[in-house]
Amino acid sequence: MTPLSDLAFHVLLALGDGPSHGYAIGKNVEGRSGGRLDPTTGTLYQVLQRLAEDGLIASARSPAGTDERRKYFALTAQGRRVASEEAGRLDALVRAARKLGLYPQRA
Amino acid sequence: MSLYRRVLRLLSPDLERDYGAAMEDMFDSKRDDARRKGVLGLVIFTWREFGGLMAVSASHIISTIGQDTRQAARRLMRSPSFTIASVLTLALAIGANGAIYAVVKHVVIDPLPYADSDGLIELDHGAQRLKVTNGLGLTRGIYFHYLNRAQSIQSAAVYQSADRTLTGRGDPEPIRVTATTPSLAQVLGVAPVVGRWFTDEEGRPGGPAVVVLSHGFWTRKFGRDTNAIGQSIVIGDVPRQIIGVMPASFAFPDPRVELWTPEQIAPEMGFGLWSYAGVARLRDKVSYESARSELTTLLGGLAQAFPGDRGAIGNSDIGLSFTGRLLKEASVGNVRQALWMLLASVATVLLIACANIANLFLVRSDVRQREVAVRRALGAGRLELGQYFLSESFLLSAFGGGLGLGLAVAATRMLVTAGPSTLPRLREIQVDSPVIAYIALLSAIAAVAFGTIAFARSSFSYAALSDTGRANTVTRDRHRMRHVLLGGQVALALVLLIAAGLMARTFQNVRAIDPGFDVASALTFRIGLPARQFATRDAALAAHSQLLDRFKELPGVSGAAVTSCLPLSGGCHGNSLLIEGQPRVPGATLPIAVFRAVSDRYFETIGTRVLLGRGIDSNDVDHREPVAVVNDVFAKKFLGDRNPIGQRVASNRPPPSAGTMEPEWLTIVGVVANTPTRSVDESPIPTLYMPLSMGDGPDSPPGRIGPAISVLTYVLRTSTPPLDLVPQVRQAVLAFDGNLPIAQVASLQEVLDRASAQMQFTMVLLVIAASVSLLLGTIGIYGVMSYTVSRRTAEIGVRIALGAEPSGIAAQILKQGAVVTGIGMAIGLAAAFAGARFITSLLYGISARDPFIYVTTCGAVFGIALLACWLPARRAARLNPVSALRAE
Repeated sequence: MTPLSDLAFHVLLALGDGPSHGYAIGKNVEGRSGGRLDPTTGTLYQVLQRLAEDGLIASARSPAGTDERRKYFALTAQGRRVASEEAGRLDALVRAARKLGLYPQRA
Repeated sequence: MSLYRRVLRLLSPDLERDYGAAMEDMFDSKRDDARRKGVLGLVIFTWREFGGLMAVSASHIISTIGQDTRQAARRLMRSPSFTIASVLTLALAIGANGAIYAVVKHVVIDPLPYADSDGLIELDHGAQRLKVTNGLGLTRGIYFHYLNRAQSIQSAAVYQSADRTLTGRGDPEPIRVTATTPSLAQVLGVAPVVGRWFTDEEGRPGGPAVVVLSHGFWTRKFGRDTNAIGQSIVIGDVPRQIIGVMPASFAFPDPRVELWTPEQIAPEMGFGLWSYAGVARLRDKVSYESARSELTTLLGGLAQAFPGDRGAIGNSDIGLSFTGRLLKEASVGNVRQALWMLLASVATVLLIACANIANLFLVRSDVRQREVAVRRALGAGRLELGQYFLSESFLLSAFGGGLGLGLAVAATRMLVTAGPSTLPRLREIQVDSPVIAYIALLSAIAAVAFGTIAFARSSFSYAALSDTGRANTVTRDRHRMRHVLLGGQVALALVLLIAAGLMARTFQNVRAIDPGFDVASALTFRIGLPARQFATRDAALAAHSQLLDRFKELPGVSGAAVTSCLPLSGGCHGNSLLIEGQPRVPGATLPIAVFRAVSDRYFETIGTRVLLGRGIDSNDVDHREPVAVVNDVFAKKFLGDRNPIGQRVASNRPPPSAGTMEPEWLTIVGVVANTPTRSVDESPIPTLYMPLSMGDGPDSPPGRIGPAISVLTYVLRTSTPPLDLVPQVRQAVLAFDGNLPIAQVASLQEVLDRASAQMQFTMVLLVIAASVSLLLGTIGIYGVMSYTVSRRTAEIGVRIALGAEPSGIAAQILKQGAVVTGIGMAIGLAAAFAGARFITSLLYGISARDPFIYVTTCGAVFGIALLACWLPARRAARLNPVSALRAE
């Protein structure tokens, strides 16, 4: 499997709290990345399609009373596992950087 | 539907299919956010969102192209016969196109390796009153006249070529030397690779004796040593200092030339003789037509420009006109038309190939009708279906083009070896980058062509799904489409075959022309006597007669003779004639004949029949008898129904000055068969043979125009293979005089073959094109017919099970093929008839509508087409109904 892209990892994080829809995911990604990532609709859905194809996310039931066009996504068990592996990988990288003195020690 | 969603559907149909509504919702929410930031925020938002869609679409296409190609490759591997047939068909057609394009590009489109070669014209003249349409060349007087007055010409040069003897570096050898005015380099825009070209000073009378080498000569004699500059070589007894070497690509006026020397002339030298050829560069934006009319006008002022000059006055009333052509056209000659015709015919062959593959695609797309319909039903867009077909066709043509490139390289090598040396730049022909680009372009066009046909034919309805799934025969209009393509192929193949057949018959006819001499077992070569060493006519005569005696004694030689001009060697000496008893009518043109000086037993040796009277014998030569032998057309044309024997004729030069000098009359003693002068298929030219001793030697008075006898062509009749004698001949010459060069050694058969080499080249190319097209046509008919049969397996099985006669079924399939072939042939015949006039000028001894060729070609095409149908028909007739139905 190709490594998770930066945007894809953010999307998985955005779904960590529970099912969400495209607009909200986009807002979440923008906020969490401090505005560094601000995907357009097309880009975001291309990633969502890819994640769905790979079985990391799945469609979820929409809460009652929402716009019927609105589509909700949720993490699958595999999605959770991949997200956690990615976090572990990043953690290992950060630890390696600390050891080399490239990143200040935790206070 | 919102604009966003429509753009989304166009650019990324699968995203739209899966998430169209959700994306529209997100877009709307984000737009509401953006609107709150004002107009600028909205503009930026719109720009980002739609740009984002394009980026998504582009990245999608890039990632799917690889995927599609892999899938297409897998699909193609599953039907190997279709794949192999298509790739081979394409490779053959593209290879033939590439090879002939390479020839056309070098020979026709780009024949001159000079900068701005479109502005180069030859300087040539014709004299209407002498019935000389062109080919006079020009005189030094006319050259300076043009240089001083013509506004349309930027620069000009004159030159003349001759065979001279190179001595002092190894064995003496004959060498072709072109003497040219120094302006030539400027006119052609060329410069030496080593050393320098001639200065203007070196082009004036009395200037230093210098020489520029060809690249080939420099390589051969000096091993490309730059120290050659400054050394001396002896050419025709004159030592000349080497000052430069031309690039390898420079071969002017033709590739035989190995040395260039400055032609040292000046305006003060007068009008001069018609001994030069010339080339000029037109000024910018001057058209060929305006230059020609200016130069023709200038010719009217010749007599005034050279007051009192006898040459200028003598040439002022012969109806001079400028007849120079663009150099590009002059150098290609009549091959141009033949080559264009060939390129057109191989392009047609490619058309046939595309039709074939489109046909195979069609039968395949019938098979896949259901697959495509299923994809369509599952929501595949037109774009994706197009990709589905185009990925296959591009893959096929990539392979076909690659293989075709290989074939083109091989074919080009073959053509270069087989082609006539008269074609300009033949040796340079190769598959270079423009040719590769051409092949790539053809492959791409072919891919789009048959991919699109298949795609267009696949855009059908869901009806395919409602078919029961039983392998049914296809619809009527699909049938018709396929038959139109098949018929078209038959028509094209027929046209090409008829052209090839006509050309082959022409070649046969030309080869069957009695050349008037016996080509079997005879050796010819030229020997030139240096004027310094053999300074008189008598010395030259004595030398030739001694050489003849030596040759006659060689074992294997049964006869030997010499002539001033061999048949088919062109450029024979000719002049106007006086015929006794035919008073010269003022203003009327005198008869013109070719003059040849020959030794005794010449006619017996070369095998030319004596029709009347006798040939020239040793008594005539020894005693300088004033006799002549004329050829058949001479007698018929000039002497009418009078008995030629005993008539008296004389050369019109030197002009008999008013009553004081009687012309040198020759009495006709015999008439011989016609022999060709330039080409085998020419109409015979009146020729007058005189004893060798009547010709002109180096000491003959100036103004006499008889055949020169310093350089003669020998003919040896041999009882052994002629070329085996060459070492003994060289030995004999060496024993006589170590300084004499032998040139143009060939058997008479080679001389004759060379004369028809160009025709043979055209014929071979046409035959290649025709056979490739017939092969492709046959494959096409066979492929479609057998596919039809295999698609109808179930139906035929049912019919046989119900009691249909197998022979009846075979007959039905044959009939179907015959009807399509017949209609195609009718169209082909009509096209061949209509196009007949385009090929007429290339034919000899056969009508462009020759019924025999038409009937036999039709018969052959029909037979081959039926055979191609018969094989599948037989298979149908032999179907076992049980297994046919089980195949479902």
